Amino acid sequence: MRAIGSSLSRVGAVEKVTGRARYPGDLNKPGQLYMKILFAGRPHARIVDIDLTAAKQVPGVVAILTAEDVPVNEYGLIIYDQPVLCGDVVRCVADQVACVIAETEEAAIEARDKIRVVYEDLPILTDPIAAMHPDAFVIHPERGESNLLCHYKIRNGDVEAAFAEADVIVEGVYHTPFQEHAYLQPEAGLAWLDGDQVVVNVAGQWMHEDRQQIAHALGWPEERVRVEYSAIGGAFGGREDMSVQIVLALAAIETGRPVKIVWTREESIIGHHKRHPMTIRTRWAATYSGRLLGVEAEVIADAGAYAYTSTKVLGNAHLCVTGPYEWPAAKVDSYAVYTNNIPTGAFRGFGAPQGHFAAEMQMNKLAARLGLDPVVLRLKNCLREGSQLTTRAHMPPGVSLPHVIEAAAEGAGWKRPDGSFQKPTLPPSDAPHIKRGIGFACAMKNVGFSFGFVDECWAQVELHGGGEIEEVVVRCAGADVGQGAHTVFCQMAAEAVGVPVERVRLVAAHTDETPGSSGSSSASRMTFYAGNAIRGAAMRALKLWHDEIRPAVGTYRYRPRATTPFHPETGEADPNVSYGFVAEVAEVEVDTELGFVHITRVMCADDVGKAINPRLIEGQIEGGVVQAAGYTVLEHFQVRNGEVLTRHLSTYLIPTVYDIPDRVESIILEYPDPQGPWGARGMAEMPFIPLAPAVASAVYDATGIWFDELPLTPDKVVATLHASQSTDQHE
Amino acid sequence: MKPPPFEYVAAHSVEEALDVLVTHGWDAKVLAGGQSLIPTLNFRLAAPAILVDLNPVSELAFIEANGMLRIGAMTRQRTLERDETIARLAPLITAAMPHVAHPQIRTRGTIGGSLAHCDPAAELPAVCLALDATLVARSQRGERAIPARDFFFGLFSTALEPDELLTEIRIPPMPPNTRYAFREVARRHGDFALAGVALTLQLDEAGRIRAPRVALFGVHDAALLSESAMRLLDGAAPSEALVREAAEAVAHDIEPSSDIHASAAYRTHLAKVLTARALRDALGDALGHATE
Repeated sequence: MRAIGSSLSRVGAVEKVTGRARYPGDLNKPGQLYMKILFAGRPHARIVDIDLTAAKQVPGVVAILTAEDVPVNEYGLIIYDQPVLCGDVVRCVADQVACVIAETEEAAIEARDKIRVVYEDLPILTDPIAAMHPDAFVIHPERGESNLLCHYKIRNGDVEAAFAEADVIVEGVYHTPFQEHAYLQPEAGLAWLDGDQVVVNVAGQWMHEDRQQIAHALGWPEERVRVEYSAIGGAFGGREDMSVQIVLALAAIETGRPVKIVWTREESIIGHHKRHPMTIRTRWAATYSGRLLGVEAEVIADAGAYAYTSTKVLGNAHLCVTGPYEWPAAKVDSYAVYTNNIPTGAFRGFGAPQGHFAAEMQMNKLAARLGLDPVVLRLKNCLREGSQLTTRAHMPPGVSLPHVIEAAAEGAGWKRPDGSFQKPTLPPSDAPHIKRGIGFACAMKNVGFSFGFVDECWAQVELHGGGEIEEVVVRCAGADVGQGAHTVFCQMAAEAVGVPVERVRLVAAHTDETPGSSGSSSASRMTFYAGNAIRGAAMRALKLWHDEIRPAVGTYRYRPRATTPFHPETGEADPNVSYGFVAEVAEVEVDTELGFVHITRVMCADDVGKAINPRLIEGQIEGGVVQAAGYTVLEHFQVRNGEVLTRHLSTYLIPTVYDIPDRVESIILEYPDPQGPWGARGMAEMPFIPLAPAVASAVYDATGIWFDELPLTPDKVVATLHASQSTDQHE
Repeated sequence: MKPPPFEYVAAHSVEEALDVLVTHGWDAKVLAGGQSLIPTLNFRLAAPAILVDLNPVSELAFIEANGMLRIGAMTRQRTLERDETIARLAPLITAAMPHVAHPQIRTRGTIGGSLAHCDPAAELPAVCLALDATLVARSQRGERAIPARDFFFGLFSTALEPDELLTEIRIPPMPPNTRYAFREVARRHGDFALAGVALTLQLDEAGRIRAPRVALFGVHDAALLSESAMRLLDGAAPSEALVREAAEAVAHDIEPSSDIHASAAYRTHLAKVLTARALRDALGDALGHATE
């Protein structure tokens, strides 16, 4: 059996299902203390006074940290715009103001509640469009004279001429909502001192970046910080930024004792960022024959109070808002805006779902307008080998999108025996109030980091044995956040070395064991990057092995060709190294009286290049579809005046096993990426991206109404259907 | 979170439980299946001084049919769902039970616990109203039988006095030609209902509706009978027009609240749609084919 291409059982699966796996919240050390964080709980205020007197008198309190205890009081993955602990101003409810460290969690809670903070409330901005107004007050005056975090442009071709020449123009305004990651494991961690090092054991996505952020805030060299990852209970982008890492390190240093923290679900929902809500206005110009002529788009993203990864998420939305299509002319303006809302950042898809929601709705509206089949229209205009992006860069080789679109259509019965395409007809429901519909959408997304970021992955392979290779030790820090990265690392190492996978041992527990960074478990990049690094290291080790060196140790730092950021005026850029491609067909039943949209079937065709572990890929497809189904029809993160109203899983509803689509069918395609290890591409975000527009288009097919705002909650569906009926009566 | 401190008494008989209740009154809380009480304690929304655990009281877990259907208050909801006597004598209960939360919860949850807790979105109070059930309460002062329509006062509030224990639910036999239906809508399977309806009615020899009982839940501060709809239905010949009129009429009787999951207006809309659907379910062939 080959090591790759086999559905081997996941590393750690038995430990997880038997409860033996240790997550950060399961860790304990003798003499440990407990920490609780005081969140601001108000969207914008000046801190007039922090009185710790009563809190310090609570028995068992060991230390209370405030802003003045943070040596370098700033952090942020892209911009250091966030204080670790706020000392003068709080800018959102999630701001951390103080940390109480006590002998017991109860004492820490009691003392936290006795901290008296005197605030002077300040005006708030929670609407990004209002925050862009020239007269709006500035949330980060130290960062410039407006609330604009960033503005990207694309100016390519003659858009005015395109619209002048157009036979049809399709316009739309689209709204996408916040989304909460809702991973099973709320944030937790344990920190302690080990010699001259502080050790922080948490669940994150990129341990070397965690180390850098902690060291920066401590003002320590990185070598004195060790970051360890235990089992990680889901991430989806929500663990990309700091949560408990820095304050844990501070607390362990302050007290000299191990310090533990476990967030409640409410703290987790408040304490980490969300998916960006975006408002997208767009116009498309096309000919009667369905040729795209030109596009205009404006994207406004609510960044919340701090940058997190907003500049990069916006970049992705900027690129995706015109869809995976060739455009002779494009004019796009995208803005990320500071507000006093909870910060927004990375979440599976990373700007691509928002951009594609607008683009794919536009595509389906255009098809309806022209009376053309949406699959045919896509095949006519989609990116293919050698296509140019709106940023004028050529697509990297291996553009499989036309095959992916065809495969999804064929799987859904959309392709007829004569090779033509026609939307399948669903049998009508027996119940008159149930309407059935079917919708199509496709998407592309970058694999790996973008826009000039130097992305890389380090790995080391040691070959042990005498005459034959008895053990392969692989060092690669890439986080297994539940997607199965460690399993495919082992499979790829075994394949590269040519031994059974049982002989591979992975070392990935902490930063000292894996001196090189593997980069983040995000951007669907881990298989692609770690695979290339592990293969490179294995080749070097094998060469030494053949030279009779024992153990034979090869290290390799995979670094693909450089990308470039958007040109500030034209948007010209070579944004990405590699892309994944996906297409989905969704079937729905709409209860037109109750307003419920039930997804009965999803067909997902995802080009993975090479399926290293097909079962794990199916898991990613089904998980991505379910998460996107929640985003589309159920999850409703509600914020009013900067306050989060949905602070529990009883109010923020995610799908249970009873609420997911009836059927999810995976079509795993293997069109190799020439740069990928064994041809593999990133795939884990792709299934999320086209689902919302596929479902909304199926709802249109069922009801004749376009829903341009997510989520499609039943009250909204009923109100819109009723409004359209009364309009019909007037006409 | 953890509950605030409380004293705990495991009662082994109704008398033992009543002893605690008479001593502690409002400071005591009865622990039945615990599926609402324990989360309430853990969220620190209640802080009773003492919990009286009825789980060891085996005499309260029974289903008996002897003319009248009698169900002990500690009968598990999972038992109600699967019991053949109930399916035969009170099939409305059988129809409603799969909508009550999830199997894990029904395995612990009890009929008496749900009725005494009186959550406005709970199914069982409405089912008892539709079945014209009588709820039996015991205290050291004696026993009293309370018709369901006099039992559910409002939000988490019932006719039970602090020294009283709900011991038994009595359901009268269904006359021949009784029809029933149950409908509810929740945002997710197993969540509390946004709105729901449980109803029974009879058809007389002339095919007219008699003794309709239309109970709604999730749309008022407690489950309630829609007298407006019942007045319209009683004595009327089934028709689609009647179904629609009765469904519209429920709006006169309910005062739904708005919350994070649904607005009052949407809940009212749901109550009407579900009432119409439940009436169509119940009337079935009696609606005929000429109506539309």
